[in-house]
Amino acid sequence: MKHPIPLVLCAAVTLLLPAATHDGYIIQLLNISILNAIVVLGLNFATGWTGQINFGQAAFYGLGAYTTAIATKAGLPWITTPVLSALVVLVASLALGLPTLRLRTYYLAMTTIGFGEIVRLIIVHWEPVTGGTSGLRAIPGISVFGFGPQGQIQHYYLLVAALALAAFIGTRIRKSSLGRAMIATKDSEIAAEQSGVDTTRTKLLAFMIGAVYAGLAGCLYASSIRFISPDSFSGVQAILLMTMLIVGGMGSIIGCIIGAVALTILPEALRFLGQWYLVLYGLGVIAVIALAPGGLASIASVIRLRQAGGR
Amino acid sequence: MTDTPIIVARGVTRRFGGLVALDGVDLDVPRGIVQAIIGPNGSGKTTLLNALSGASHADAGSICIDGKEIFRLKPHRIARLGLARTFQNIRIFSNLSVLENVKVAAACNTPASLFNIMAGNARQRQSEAEIERTAREALQIVGLSGRTGDRATQLPYAQQRLLEIARALASKPSVLLLDEPAAGMNMTESMTLLGTIAKLRASGITILLVEHNVRLVMGISDRVVVLDFGKKIAEGAPAEVQRNPLVIEAYLGRRHRHA
Repeated sequence: MKHPIPLVLCAAVTLLLPAATHDGYIIQLLNISILNAIVVLGLNFATGWTGQINFGQAAFYGLGAYTTAIATKAGLPWITTPVLSALVVLVASLALGLPTLRLRTYYLAMTTIGFGEIVRLIIVHWEPVTGGTSGLRAIPGISVFGFGPQGQIQHYYLLVAALALAAFIGTRIRKSSLGRAMIATKDSEIAAEQSGVDTTRTKLLAFMIGAVYAGLAGCLYASSIRFISPDSFSGVQAILLMTMLIVGGMGSIIGCIIGAVALTILPEALRFLGQWYLVLYGLGVIAVIALAPGGLASIASVIRLRQAGGR
Repeated sequence: MTDTPIIVARGVTRRFGGLVALDGVDLDVPRGIVQAIIGPNGSGKTTLLNALSGASHADAGSICIDGKEIFRLKPHRIARLGLARTFQNIRIFSNLSVLENVKVAAACNTPASLFNIMAGNARQRQSEAEIERTAREALQIVGLSGRTGDRATQLPYAQQRLLEIARALASKPSVLLLDEPAAGMNMTESMTLLGTIAKLRASGITILLVEHNVRLVMGISDRVVVLDFGKKIAEGAPAEVQRNPLVIEAYLGRRHRHA
């Protein structure tokens, strides 16, 4: 580890946070921000590293959530839901990625926008199963052979563990030949090909791994928040996830987490501003992109560079 | 078997709209030599390299590397069959370190298994160690061992060209295509480059060299092919080719002869 002290500090704050507040609303917000962070980590594979624009991440998130909700409400044991959610998004992302990823970047953007809309329409109109616009409530909670987290704080720790695992696997991929192939594909597709990288396979893998991240986050969302509605997985959410990735820092695992947490909590923290909140939010996003194009995660190194330049 | 040329290309043709960039070019490259492709601007040198490496496929013809037909194969398949290349306009991976750039190609023939990566098991560690060893060896050959940890974009221009060569070498090719490797290099850097090319030739790699600088080419090449307007107009030892009136005409123009 390059920065042990900040890392230990972050871990300590994360673990002690629930002790500082007993406000259920805040813990719930944190839980959602952690789930979003897992989804953004998934988005980072295809978009941050491989350079493919993916607006389907919210739809995969939703597919995972609805699969879990419908399965558990139908009486299936919870333990089957991560597998089911992962399978559903794997099939969907393969069907979507296989034909489009042979093509250039923007085709994936187009097809994933369309895909997101299709998923949303199905959720809204298949009312008997999905509950339509009013969503599904009273979704059974996480339970493995009768054991499961009770209350929001236990859920918080479970989700932190899930995020840590997601980040850990992301780091392993980054340090493997697959991770290098992803970044090589983004930097120069032709040079990657001529170096023996099957760029089509790499793009497809990045897209599918990311979809599985979103699907599993959706599974955890449904069974820890216990209520889902189409709004949480709409096209607006897809753009928000992309914004989290860009503001946090494309390609940086820490950046994904910072971006997701910041942009999930900020709108709530700025709620007292009423409509002005959107203005401030927009300005903030523009400021980050203009002043630190590498995202929030790069600010530390930007400051260091400025200081070095000033000397 | 070792007597057959390592590259056998027949009737390679490439059209861009109405322009015939390559017009039925035949090419035989014997094993273990340095073969240069020269020609005036727009004569089809890079187009020929692109056709050989699969970067931009030929419209017609046949290309065999080591007896295997590679016509219209995807570039990564061709790379795995032992053909590596560098680019005229440098194409390094700017978001990777120097070492990682080379590791990308060093993993050429060891496809990653997602399961092993996530498990971080012994097989994964072993294959990563092997990739690292290959990559470091390649960097050593071009003399970039001291800069492994730097970002690739931090290297000066000439060293970025060397990095491309190291990357190409890391895939352990039997044929190496170099597209104007000395472009933008000063005299000293070009001389070092020539030394590296000689070293590679001695290690048994066949080198196909596209170069603008004819003087540089003549010193190091065993054979020279001259292209003009997409056609092969001459072929042979450097000294022979230099005396060929067609070549002189292609480079200096027809009026020169009458003057």
